[in-house]
Amino acid sequence: MRKLVLGMALVAVTSLGATSVIAADDPIEIRKSIMQSVGAAAGLGGGMMKGEIAYTPAAGKAVIAAMNSSANSFGSFFPEGSETGDTTASPKVWEDAAGFKAALAKFSEATGAAMAASGRGGPADADAFKAAMGPVFGSCKSCHQAFRVKK
Amino acid sequence: MKKLVAILVIVGLAGAAAGWILTVPRTLSKMQIADLPAGDPVNGELLFWAGGCASCHAAPGAKGDDKLLLGGGLKLETPFGVFVAPNISSDQEDGIGSWSKVDFANAMLTGTSPQGSHLYPAFPYTSYARMTLSDVTDLYAFMTFLPSVSGKAAAHELGFPFNIRRGLGLWKLLNLSSEPVVSAPAAGSDVDPDLWQRGRYLVEGPGHCGECHTPRDLMGGLDMSRWMSGAAAASGEGRVPGLDPESDIGSWSAADIAYYLESGFTPEYDSVGGEMVSVQENMARLPARDREAIAAYLKALPAADAN
Repeated sequence: MRKLVLGMALVAVTSLGATSVIAADDPIEIRKSIMQSVGAAAGLGGGMMKGEIAYTPAAGKAVIAAMNSSANSFGSFFPEGSETGDTTASPKVWEDAAGFKAALAKFSEATGAAMAASGRGGPADADAFKAAMGPVFGSCKSCHQAFRVKK
Repeated sequence: MKKLVAILVIVGLAGAAAGWILTVPRTLSKMQIADLPAGDPVNGELLFWAGGCASCHAAPGAKGDDKLLLGGGLKLETPFGVFVAPNISSDQEDGIGSWSKVDFANAMLTGTSPQGSHLYPAFPYTSYARMTLSDVTDLYAFMTFLPSVSGKAAAHELGFPFNIRRGLGLWKLLNLSSEPVVSAPAAGSDVDPDLWQRGRYLVEGPGHCGECHTPRDLMGGLDMSRWMSGAAAASGEGRVPGLDPESDIGSWSAADIAYYLESGFTPEYDSVGGEMVSVQENMARLPARDREAIAAYLKALPAADAN
């Protein structure tokens, strides 16, 4: 009986593992989840920049850190063959790989600088946050202009 | 038999003559030309951005002052062939520096070139035709100050029958009108009439929003019964979203639309993308009141089939 329980638990763990492996193997799903995190961070950051959400340094830092980790990892999930499927990535991502890399680098540079500027506790006030986030927000559309297709 | 042939020849000739007359490139009337004002370059600059001239005629991806270099070259790949945006800089040889104010107004309002031939509607004169003569001459005055860029853009690559410009005469009879598209705000919308009128002028005229956001029929004319209801992208892949209250941005407030045009961010903080980036950057240069006017007009659009 104990063996059976153990066996069932093992099966459960492996099948659980298997589903998460499938998700991890699907670059389209991963890059979407990364962009969702960017979008959510932008929503919070934008709300604070507009004054619709009260600014706190910790929230400011969370926005910048989420942007930064996304900027540094996003580019790793565009392997050859992932241009088809449920994706809004433009074929230009692969046709103009150097241009895409440059656009990603612009995003990382902006988020890296914002990280450096935010210190341990996050940008002290909303103005400091705005100054740090300006270039980050600026990099969104230059990449979306060339490398995203709305369907 | 001889008689039949003769009749056929006469009918054929009459048809050809009618076709020839129907396809004559039309221009502004003498009265309109006599009324041409001097042109105010300050207002002209506003129209330059509202009209999105740089989006097609500056080098693709141009930023800042490079948007004022109108050497052309952008390719629009459409179902009818490839249209290449010409050089409209002030260069005397390669651009339109030698055009008179009348030449310019004819191109903008009647789609007819200084040589008297039809221009292709990839140049959206079907919208610009709704502009006032005074705004067109203001735009002309502004554009004369822009730098000269040498070099002609490549020729269009069009197959038969689209390579025959004369045929556009018939197309223009069906699709070219200076009348507004929407006659009144949607019933029940509470909108300042002046703001709405300004919005209608900007959207339907210089802004030429409908050229991408409205579906086209088989001949490439806009399907006015589905005004602003979204369309397949005419150039490239993807879809251009609808702008009427029942479509993609129906849930946005007027302030959301104005903010999007100013900042490039949707209410969910997604960013503007694709060809709209250049449009949004142009709109960001307009006075805030004009963006509010555009938003007011879009919020008060009647449901797509009610026009």
